[in-house]
Amino acid sequence: MSFQSRHPLEGKAGSAVRAVDHLEIPRSVAIATVLSRLSDAAMVVAGFAAAGDLTMRNVAPGEWLVLSHVERAVNLERRLAALLADIAEVVDQSEGRVLLRLSGPNARRILAKGVAVDLDPSVFTVGQSANLRCGHIAVNFARSGENEFELIVFRSFAESLFEDLLAMGREFDLSYGFSGGLADQG
Amino acid sequence: MASFISCPHCGIRPKEEFTVRGDASVIRPEPDASDEAWHNYVHIRANPRGRTREHWQHVFGCRRFLVVERDTVTHEVYSVTDGGSR
Repeated sequence: MSFQSRHPLEGKAGSAVRAVDHLEIPRSVAIATVLSRLSDAAMVVAGFAAAGDLTMRNVAPGEWLVLSHVERAVNLERRLAALLADIAEVVDQSEGRVLLRLSGPNARRILAKGVAVDLDPSVFTVGQSANLRCGHIAVNFARSGENEFELIVFRSFAESLFEDLLAMGREFDLSYGFSGGLADQG
Repeated sequence: MASFISCPHCGIRPKEEFTVRGDASVIRPEPDASDEAWHNYVHIRANPRGRTREHWQHVFGCRRFLVVERDTVTHEVYSVTDGGSR
């Protein structure tokens, strides 16, 4: 019996019209956890930099999430394991985590309702990432652009966080919809 | 006023992101120490007014155990260090 991948927000229909503030649900993203000893952390970061095309998110000292929008999960895990052999452990999390991307001119004001960090771009800079609490849910939070943020959440919390974000964005007419879906095909 | 803890790994965060895990000043006895020493270590805690050292776990952030030195009256935080760095 083959494993059938199903997105936890699969039943959501999406907004009819895309508003300026938009919550995007990238359908297929390869996500892996990387764990290393603290003494090897600098080498792991250098390894990510050498790979070039990997998106790295800080979780904790010696712990990262690595994202790929082009690779399939098994390929990402295999590639990372080869790249970081002997200095880090790599575990595929693609089915265990969900990526949500919030963008638009009011993104900061929407997130400020649930997130207790200073979202001014001079404090939380573009490319910065950390684990934090959004409402009552722990998420990995990153600023991917001036007005664009990415949240990675545990699969079973995805629907709850999704509903929270829609409620937080309601006054700004926040729209939502799936995107992508090629990487999992074939 | 919100209570902030400055996590050495994650930055300034509200206390709601943390769980207090108790007194950080007690020292674990040797395995062959007396029953009384173990009883004191496991069960007996002071309830101090003023400056204390506590273990706080940043459960919504890096999940590291931190040693927070703070005042129980004013909640002034004197220092926050990683629990593993001692």
